[in-house]
Amino acid sequence: MAAAGGLRSAGWRLWRGRAVRCQQYPPLRALQASAALRRASDEHRKEPLGSSTQQHFDSPPDGHQPEQKPQGPHPSYTGQGGQESEDYESEEQLQHRILTAALEFVPEHGWTAEAIAEGAKTLGLSVAAAGLFHSDGSELILHFVSECNTKLSELLRKEQKLVQLGEAEKKPLDEFLRDAVEARLRMLIPYIEKWPQALSVLLLPRNIPSSLNLLTSMIDDIWHYAGDQSTDFNWYTRRAVLTGIYNTTELVMMQDSSPGFEDTWRFLENRVADAMTMSNTASQVQSTGEAVVQGLMGAAVTIKNLAGLNQRR
Amino acid sequence: WTLDNWSQNPVIDRILRVDHAGEFGANRIYAGQMAVLGRSSVGPLIQQMWNQEKDHLKKFNELMVAYRVRPTVLLPFWNVAGFVLGAGSALLGKKGAMACTVAVEESISEHYNNQIRTLIEEDPEKYKELLQVIKQFRDDEQEHHDIGLEHDAEAAPAYSVLKTAIQLGCKVAIFLSERI
Repeated sequence: MAAAGGLRSAGWRLWRGRAVRCQQYPPLRALQASAALRRASDEHRKEPLGSSTQQHFDSPPDGHQPEQKPQGPHPSYTGQGGQESEDYESEEQLQHRILTAALEFVPEHGWTAEAIAEGAKTLGLSVAAAGLFHSDGSELILHFVSECNTKLSELLRKEQKLVQLGEAEKKPLDEFLRDAVEARLRMLIPYIEKWPQALSVLLLPRNIPSSLNLLTSMIDDIWHYAGDQSTDFNWYTRRAVLTGIYNTTELVMMQDSSPGFEDTWRFLENRVADAMTMSNTASQVQSTGEAVVQGLMGAAVTIKNLAGLNQRR
Repeated sequence: WTLDNWSQNPVIDRILRVDHAGEFGANRIYAGQMAVLGRSSVGPLIQQMWNQEKDHLKKFNELMVAYRVRPTVLLPFWNVAGFVLGAGSALLGKKGAMACTVAVEESISEHYNNQIRTLIEEDPEKYKELLQVIKQFRDDEQEHHDIGLEHDAEAAPAYSVLKTAIQLGCKVAIFLSERI
């Protein structure tokens, strides 16, 4: 019993130490502020504590904890101790699992309720679980895109780490962009037959905010890891250009029947090269423009001098 | 609400975006004033204040990159509007330029104070560095404001009208830059 008390207070101390870190947990899924999502994050943070028994002891002190995050009340930690076990899964997590399982069946059934039903079956759930989702497969597709983006982020982060450790060469910009877009598009290959269907679903008015969000955050991620440090209008220009490259390459990929999609990658290479040329041209135009303006200013000053207007006030 | 819903920290996002836009605008205002009054007796003074704004802008550029904040899409607009405001107020004379400075710096000081309050309410520990930066900048802007007053800003033509109009413009600029 003393040991239990000791464990509890140790957990309490560790928990309070984590209190400040709590708020730094990025609310990327802030769209759905379910209590269980927080529980999932709580479990995530408690992992370093080790054994699962410690997790149980952490629940009671949790109930006394003042509100840490602006995500609503703690419905589960009402101090009723053991009634909610840590194994309880939220609806969000369940949906996540079903959709992940359903992806396996997409090449056969497309982005449909059938695929979701099959996925639910493999998890040992009833096919009625497909009723949790829209019949057009929107959630499945958005889930897939989100997973791909996460994978891409991970990949880019690992690459960046290697470069920082000096174990890899820093790639020139055009190569970096090309590789990043290619890596992301390659994730579509297993589902390429059904992807046009997915694209049309993503363009449904209902889905546009989410799909646009996913697209823009992915492009922003790529530029961030490419080392973009612009804080002027270039920020927008660069992202707009890369979005254009990504979208057009994706469309080309849908129509590509060459071995290993080599036509697509060649198209991508050309588009990125175009963008580089365009930016070079743009900066040349700017320099020329600046030189012209300076010439005009010089002429104006000369005229002012000649006319005697250039005097100290 | 902001244009990008993926931002990791909406509070910092807004704060940095609007502050960056503000310093950028202030830079352009002083540039406009220098273009007209550069060779007058207040030239060196305006230049000195401009240099401090340049430092501010540099700091915010760094913070923007560190926190991955999107700059406001209205930057090209503030570019022109700031210059026009600076040049326009300078055309009203030295006192007009000083009046503009007073109006703008007063708005900015108040705005920074609001942000300091917000950050302290949120989490003073987490935002310690940012708070330090904003406090320092607020003091700088307050200094500019006082310099403007010292140089007869209040004697400018239509001082109160000018001041009200400029401060209204600043409020609109702040509102828009936070969001767009």
